[in-house]
Amino acid sequence: MHEPTTVCPRCAHDTLEHVHASPVPGIWDVLQCVRCLYMWRTSEPARRSRRDAYPESFRMTGDDIEAAGEVPVVPPLRAAS
Amino acid sequence: MPHDDLRGFLDALDKEGQLLRVTDEVRPEPDIAAAANAAPRLGDAAPALYFDNVSGFTSARIAMNVHGSWANHALALGLPKETPAKEQVAEFIRRWERFPVAPEWREDPPWARNTLEGDDVDVFRVLPLIRLNDGDGGFYIDKAAVVSKDPDDPENSGKQNVGIYRIEVKGRRRLALQPVPMHDIALHLRTAEERGEDLPVAITLGNDPVVTIAASTPMKYEENEYELAGALRGAPAPIAEAPLTGLPVPWGSEVVIEGVIEGRKREIEGPFGEFTGHYSGGRSMPVIRIDRISYRTDPIFEHLYLGMPWTECDYLIAANTAVPLYKQLKADFPEVQAVNASYTHGLVVIVSTKKRYGGFAKAVGLRVLTTPHGLGYATTVIVVDEDVDPFNLPQVMWALSTKMNPAGDLITIPNLPVVELAPQAQSPGIVDKLVIDATTPVGADRRGNYGNQVRDLPETAEWLSRLQALAARR
Repeated sequence: MHEPTTVCPRCAHDTLEHVHASPVPGIWDVLQCVRCLYMWRTSEPARRSRRDAYPESFRMTGDDIEAAGEVPVVPPLRAAS
Repeated sequence: MPHDDLRGFLDALDKEGQLLRVTDEVRPEPDIAAAANAAPRLGDAAPALYFDNVSGFTSARIAMNVHGSWANHALALGLPKETPAKEQVAEFIRRWERFPVAPEWREDPPWARNTLEGDDVDVFRVLPLIRLNDGDGGFYIDKAAVVSKDPDDPENSGKQNVGIYRIEVKGRRRLALQPVPMHDIALHLRTAEERGEDLPVAITLGNDPVVTIAASTPMKYEENEYELAGALRGAPAPIAEAPLTGLPVPWGSEVVIEGVIEGRKREIEGPFGEFTGHYSGGRSMPVIRIDRISYRTDPIFEHLYLGMPWTECDYLIAANTAVPLYKQLKADFPEVQAVNASYTHGLVVIVSTKKRYGGFAKAVGLRVLTTPHGLGYATTVIVVDEDVDPFNLPQVMWALSTKMNPAGDLITIPNLPVVELAPQAQSPGIVDKLVIDATTPVGADRRGNYGNQVRDLPETAEWLSRLQALAARR
């Protein structure tokens, strides 16, 4: 039915975690990339679930993750009184 | 009668013909989000959507677009569904006069029937989560009322907060939350992180429709959302104590998720299609550890689609953005007649006002920029005369067409704060703001060649009623 997904559609990382299986067995699974944390359902359209069809503008790289800004910035600890 | 929970409101919508049940089997993606994307295109009386036949699920119940039209917004406030937007805002203003109405503690909340704790927690077992837009980084919870307290002053119920924030599902018991610096929960988190602590939170899903409206109202820091809900409902908001954190949560919720925002931790989040109609992210944002989920038997998952306006999000944050701005302006300038801040949470604000003297309208426009909400949002302010209805965009366009001379009516102020999600900013969080004076110059301001304005004939109002009655009889 669905070709097995072996890489993250968004960042092409090859380690995926199985998060959840459809309550009706065999219909879909929820997978997550352990690097970019993209999470999707295997039954979604190819544009969301297959690397070769995943839009260029939504792709993410390891460098993007490294460069992601903190929101909000972690504040300094209060000085012990 | 006010509704004490989502189910009561869905029944009311059903009786009014404002709930569309989709009984054919649908795919979780992209069908449900696409239907919710489409629903507001049906117009100002668009219905809520209810799905209970979703591929792969055995007992999914998903409600979308519950606040997604002026008709549904009116019913949420207990008004006739035909009530025009401007009158809903006026009624909201009148009811706010009753604020604060203390909430009522109520026993035996229906969400206490079922519990998952500790390592048994799995949000996927409780909620039929679905993904919204193509570029979203994952499954989101974006219509939950999140409760937290000020860690420096936890007994102060005014400083407690109930707000709606974007929440990404990161795992079975792991979430991410976006605390926009302009919002109260960001102050709570900052205090907790300065103290080196986690911030306890209760995330409540599937609430009565007024709790959702109050939770998305930009109130002042020390104003309590439940006390506004009471004023809007005309009866105290029923609340109960969340079992793990002790936080006050709605009695009628479908699901209550408790845990902590883990202090001083950030992790990649997003992107997510936001209320601006643009994606934001991925950024490194705070993480929530879920410790307990309490839920009704067969809970209904209420979810919200947002994208290119207008979507449900825009209906939910139209009236409740305009009202606090109106009240704050009116307090200083009684000449203000009406405020329309319905566009993208008030990134554009339209104000109608009488003029005390020449230049007055510009002062009113500048004041919008320094209101608590305007500080982070209002980017373009349009000021119109008192006889122009800011909710009537053709009239506003007429004012821009004839009352505004760019030579003297455009005031630009550089480098003011704006919510980081605003895509037009020079760099995220900083933008130039614009006040447009589209009022008729008065007093010492003698610009233009206005002469006499054409006014409605004195008999026009009577004829409008007469024509409406004739048209109704056809």
